[in-house]
Amino acid sequence: MANILVVEDERAISDLITMNLKLVGHTYSKAYRGPEVFEILEREKTDLILLDVMLPELDGFEVMQRIAHLQIPVILITAKNSLADRIKGFELGADDYIIKPFEILELLARINVVLRRGEKGTSSFICDNVEVRYLERQVLVDQTPVDLTVREFELLEVLIRNRNIALSREKLLELAWGYDFEGDTRTVDVHIRQLRKKLGWEERIKTIFKLGYRLEVQS
Amino acid sequence: MRFWHKILLSVLALFIAALDVSVIMVMKKSWQLNMDSEMQRASSEQLLIANNIYENLNSIQARGTALTPILLASVSESYGDYYHKQGIYLQLWENERMIYPPQKGQFGKSDFGKDGQPESSDERSIQLSTQLPAPYQHLLLVYQRDISELFNKQQELNRFFVMINWIVGPILLLLLYLLIRHLSKPLKLLSETSKTIAEGDYTKRVQLRSKDEFGELALNFNRMAEAVEQRVTELSDMAEEKQRMVDNLAHELRTPLTSIQGFAEFITTANIGQEEQQTAGGYILSETLRLKNLAFKLLDLSVLRHQPLAFQQVDISELFQAIQQTERPKFTDAGISFHVHHTIPNVWGDPDLLASLLVNLVENAIHASKQGSEIYMLAYDLDGEAVLEIRDTGTGITTEMAKRVFEPFYRGDQARSREYGGAGLGLSLCRQIAEAHKARLSLNSVLGEGTSIRLFLQLYNNCPPTL
Repeated sequence: MANILVVEDERAISDLITMNLKLVGHTYSKAYRGPEVFEILEREKTDLILLDVMLPELDGFEVMQRIAHLQIPVILITAKNSLADRIKGFELGADDYIIKPFEILELLARINVVLRRGEKGTSSFICDNVEVRYLERQVLVDQTPVDLTVREFELLEVLIRNRNIALSREKLLELAWGYDFEGDTRTVDVHIRQLRKKLGWEERIKTIFKLGYRLEVQS
Repeated sequence: MRFWHKILLSVLALFIAALDVSVIMVMKKSWQLNMDSEMQRASSEQLLIANNIYENLNSIQARGTALTPILLASVSESYGDYYHKQGIYLQLWENERMIYPPQKGQFGKSDFGKDGQPESSDERSIQLSTQLPAPYQHLLLVYQRDISELFNKQQELNRFFVMINWIVGPILLLLLYLLIRHLSKPLKLLSETSKTIAEGDYTKRVQLRSKDEFGELALNFNRMAEAVEQRVTELSDMAEEKQRMVDNLAHELRTPLTSIQGFAEFITTANIGQEEQQTAGGYILSETLRLKNLAFKLLDLSVLRHQPLAFQQVDISELFQAIQQTERPKFTDAGISFHVHHTIPNVWGDPDLLASLLVNLVENAIHASKQGSEIYMLAYDLDGEAVLEIRDTGTGITTEMAKRVFEPFYRGDQARSREYGGAGLGLSLCRQIAEAHKARLSLNSVLGEGTSIRLFLQLYNNCPPTL
């Protein structure tokens, strides 16, 4: 999908982020210190930078100033919750801001938003005999278009973007239907059943006991 | 109303009132004296006239001429004409009938009082009446003297007095204004300075060099301002340190919490293999240990702050030996030689806390030192104080860093410190231990040359310190 540079001095957090990125199909590189960023950017084509503000030697804001000319989208990650810091980040051209401790799903959602904004995300997803075209909002099974409702398509997109991660019914409602939807979680079950039937994905979309659903794709 | 307004108006009012009252009293007295002398003159003159008339009448009678009213009138006239020129009017009455001057009848008998009493039927004249001596008791001489000149003088004086008032008033006002403004200048200065200070500029001082009460006030005021400034600076420094500690604590808590939460979520929700599960589980464990370490260190700090120590004699050679033993593997690993030397046998203190302090300092020294360098642990007597010193020849720190190293969570080198698993609390703990011992902790460091930290304790042979 996209190549993402993770700049974070805490190994645990760095690994946490990259392991999740790998799950949903992104490639990544890691930097633990400010100066390493420049080497990696020279070496690799990077679509997005996840940047910790509190870094040894060179802090995140300074790193941003030095790479501003490259016009790579940046999401700042920090424990600092102060408004002044957030404003400074946005003034320096940050695309988004996420505060520790964060939920992985939230980070992934923000990454997707930023990638889509820059049209850096992939326009289609292929698995088995199924092809999903995001821009046309079309799904092909064995090259034949399949008719999906708007909600079914949204749900499918959420599952693909967060593939290999179990999503609760509540989370799915929130992500695919929106916060203001006041439906039952059984609505999700109905739509999942429809998706499985239409795409022939009875095995791909797994029911995880007590948790919800997970789209399993080997990366 | 301003203070100087009050002084100005009250001094002005008092002065003018005092001036006026005294001038009025003087004028009144002088008027009275003038009147008295006029009156005396009038009565003596009257007496003289009466005597002259009496003697004239006597000589007329001696010649045997009868005293007819015409005769009386002519006698009176000779006097009346003469005195008329001096503004004196005479009348002669015989049994309630006026003989002289003829035709005129202004005065009725009832107008006269008793014999010899002054009568002033007209305000501008003195009028006296007297009976002639016997045997002419039936004749009454009335004497009237014009004193309008005296009144005119008095009126002129009054006018002059009012004029003086009008002139002196403004002059006095002006002089008083200048004087009071000058005298109250220090007050204004003080007021302005205190206003600036109240607005938050604590560096302001009163520039006033005088030896009166204002100078004293200014001196005390400046002293107060200095104390306030010092206290405010201390408070803001403390608040800043507290804020930094809270910020740092938030960071120290959030980082492991983020990892723990994230990896737990990862294990439960993600479609992963066993190897990744183990990695995630390992992180959860190590980050939990980090939190535990942090919690215990914080607890130590808080306990130290609230618990008094039980002092005892600490044997230096035992203390140093214990530290050598625990730290030996670390020195071997780092390839650093450790030199221990002491010239004093024992100090007062808590052996466990002193050991904890030395271990912290020694480990900091190890982290700051390169392979092949040396670290010294010394105990000696310096000017009557027992000194424990840890000295290294490592990286050293800058002066700015030295100011903050004792703050909780402050790290000289963020990344390196975390690699060693430090919570950034080691030196804060040392400072707390030193404070609990009522001991000074001093740090000398030169960037690139090394650091020495000294703890100044009370000597062993003194009495145990009182807390």
